[in-house]
Amino acid sequence: MKLSSLSLRAVLLDWGFVLVLCAIFVFFSLATAHFLEFGNMIAMLHTMASVVIISCGMAMVVMTGNLDISLGSIAFLSSSIGVLLMTRLGWNPVAAFSVTLLCGVAFGMLNGFIVVVLGINPLITTLGTMITLRGVGLELTQASVIPLPEGVRVLGNLAIGPIFVDILVMAAVLIAVHVLHRRTSFGRQINAIGNGAEVAARIGLPVGRLVFLDFVLAGFLASIGGIVALLQVGSLSAYLGAGLEFTAVAVVVVGGVSLFGGRGSIIPGVLLGALTFQLIVNGLTQMSANPYVYKLITGLVIFLAMYVDALKVGRIHAPPAAEAVEDEPA
Amino acid sequence: MSESLGPLLQLNAITKKFGATTALDAASFEGHAGEVHALMGANGAGKSTLMNVLGGVVPMDAGEIIISGSPVQIRSPHESKALGIAFVHQELNMLPTMTVAENVFIDALPQYGGLVDRDRMRKGAAELLERLGSRFSPEQPVEELSTGDRQMVEIARALARDPRIIIFDEPTSSLTDRERQRLFAIIRQLKQSGVAVIYITHFLDEIFHISDRVTVMRNGQTVGSSAIAAITPTEVVRLMLGEVERQERLREPHAAAGKPLLSVRGLTRRGVLHDIGFELYPGEIVGLWGLLGSGRTELVHALIGLDPIDSGELRIAADSEDRPITPKALHRQIGLVTEDRRGEGLLMPLSVVGNLSLASLSQLLSPLRLIDRRREQAFAEEIVARLKIKLNDPRQAVKTLSGGNQQKVVLGRWLATGPRLFILDEPTRGLDVAAKAEVLRLTTELATEGASILLISSELEDMMRVCDRYLVISRGRIVGELPGGADKNRLMEAVSGGHSTAAAA
Repeated sequence: MKLSSLSLRAVLLDWGFVLVLCAIFVFFSLATAHFLEFGNMIAMLHTMASVVIISCGMAMVVMTGNLDISLGSIAFLSSSIGVLLMTRLGWNPVAAFSVTLLCGVAFGMLNGFIVVVLGINPLITTLGTMITLRGVGLELTQASVIPLPEGVRVLGNLAIGPIFVDILVMAAVLIAVHVLHRRTSFGRQINAIGNGAEVAARIGLPVGRLVFLDFVLAGFLASIGGIVALLQVGSLSAYLGAGLEFTAVAVVVVGGVSLFGGRGSIIPGVLLGALTFQLIVNGLTQMSANPYVYKLITGLVIFLAMYVDALKVGRIHAPPAAEAVEDEPA
Repeated sequence: MSESLGPLLQLNAITKKFGATTALDAASFEGHAGEVHALMGANGAGKSTLMNVLGGVVPMDAGEIIISGSPVQIRSPHESKALGIAFVHQELNMLPTMTVAENVFIDALPQYGGLVDRDRMRKGAAELLERLGSRFSPEQPVEELSTGDRQMVEIARALARDPRIIIFDEPTSSLTDRERQRLFAIIRQLKQSGVAVIYITHFLDEIFHISDRVTVMRNGQTVGSSAIAAITPTEVVRLMLGEVERQERLREPHAAAGKPLLSVRGLTRRGVLHDIGFELYPGEIVGLWGLLGSGRTELVHALIGLDPIDSGELRIAADSEDRPITPKALHRQIGLVTEDRRGEGLLMPLSVVGNLSLASLSQLLSPLRLIDRRREQAFAEEIVARLKIKLNDPRQAVKTLSGGNQQKVVLGRWLATGPRLFILDEPTRGLDVAAKAEVLRLTTELATEGASILLISSELEDMMRVCDRYLVISRGRIVGELPGGADKNRLMEAVSGGHSTAAAA
């Protein structure tokens, strides 16, 4: 039996992003003084926590071959509502943030409804909700900066020893979504849809229901990510989550999750994807590099990841049967 | 044999219409446990539709389905599966990035405590694969498997639900010989374990090799059902094609003379065409006669370069000699009318004028190299008149024309380029009697004017009205040649005669 999975090309395509990550790590370790310090590493993980959480949701949507670019706006609006409940109506943070999470679910349901029931293309749908939801949030908050109440602000720097709590939250989300994807019926069927929605439907899977729930999950995770980002900054600004969905797509693709659906992992995929980008930002900052270089390098990394994705997908066609014997005519 | 228990499955008087087309006309079918029952018929006969009714893919308009003596309703694939019916479709439903085990159980993943029970899944898949004699691992991603192996996975998925009835729709079209033998062994196993196997195919030799009964359908009706031992291949073909009425010839058989226009030698494409050779002379209509799956369309595609060939030589007459020509170059010199006039022949939203002029635009240019609309209009009107195309205005969209007139537009386009060779693949498909006659008449006119015509049609009556001789094709080989005056019995025997031997091991 031909062991094609061991060919060099296949190995490179599947694990190339780890090699790139290692290369980046080594480069910055050598090029800067403080990159390789424990404190710096912790700071990096702390900063990327919200991106990772939202990227988990994005990854699950991308696994079906769909896209959700409204996640940053969902994070913003659901957090805004939570903050306003606390500052204007004096709610306690637990109740307020519970509402935030419910909002995440509700907005996910909105996306799911438009895509599945109304049958509108997911990109167009989430483009619409991205703009609309942020607009509603800006209106509600008057685009002003709203500082969090004193007692709540402290939560942003909560740590257990040297490890920030939000790093633990990030780890918990990563593990939970990974298990969901790999080990539950829902996750496996989501993956199946990514292989081919028509094929999945013909096999008898409830594609509509699964995609709907998928969007709900993404919305929910986006609201969690929004809370984490909010607590880190300590106040609500109109920029919360802005552009986060595109970072999430980049993270997901660089981490090996195919935009075509059905391929990739949460652990190590999303984690390594987020690390790659965070390393680049952090390293460049340490080098005092020109801030515009970051965008250029990010763009190049994304392009490379998409190219590799396309190459990988080209491997789907069945190899011819291994028989060497010439077929006998009937 | 469990014939004494009565039929496991009965489909009685199933009728299904799609709009104005009747796909099934009171079709019936009976299946017994432990029996392999073949369902045969030409393209469009209704066999897939009948099975789609059983599989819950298509709802029926009238009729009843009885399983184990009780009438049932099948409104979805889910209900069909719940009744113990498994359907292995012609197009495999595979999830390439997922493992074999996942593919087999994806619609019914075994669970333990909220998570997928991977052990049970793997063991279950391994058991099924062993039953099927497959040696690949259940943990392998399906994208690494060959088509034949993927089909094993598809069958495993069907068997995972322990079905009582299993339907195979054209299962051998893309299999190698060895894979086909393996499939037959599995079918025999299923038969022995008491499953009712329904086998849809258009390959005559296979049903005599593997099945116990055969039911033939034609035009949505069940026209015959018999034990295999009690029927001959020729009779099956006769049932499939129906009574071929002798209709008047439009042109007496013309004996080819002079030098051939096109010579083909040793045309081979591995697994599809074997050492095909023939000649086409000017002024003659040659019928390429064979059943579905014999390689007719593949031969046409190979001749015009739409599919690659492994070996073979084409030579075309040019001036007073003949010279070699590549299939792609040949494509540019011939008039081609395909089966799929909507897909390959016409640009539907474009006007009749636009479609007619498409191949001749370079002759209709003004001095500024732009299309001269007036010349184009005159050009189109001349063809419309000559071919008697019925329309209100040549500028109307071609999709508004009737099927027969659309076909004339396709022919008309090529006429203007004056090709010496035409390949007509099912030119009368879907046309009413009058339109058929007109298209056939046109064909004879083209031949009389000196063109060579290769005509492919599954409608024997049409071929018998115009062909000067027949090339009989079967399983990718030319197995014989018959004169234009051959009667229907000889023709039917020629195409079924090659199938009486069992497939080589």
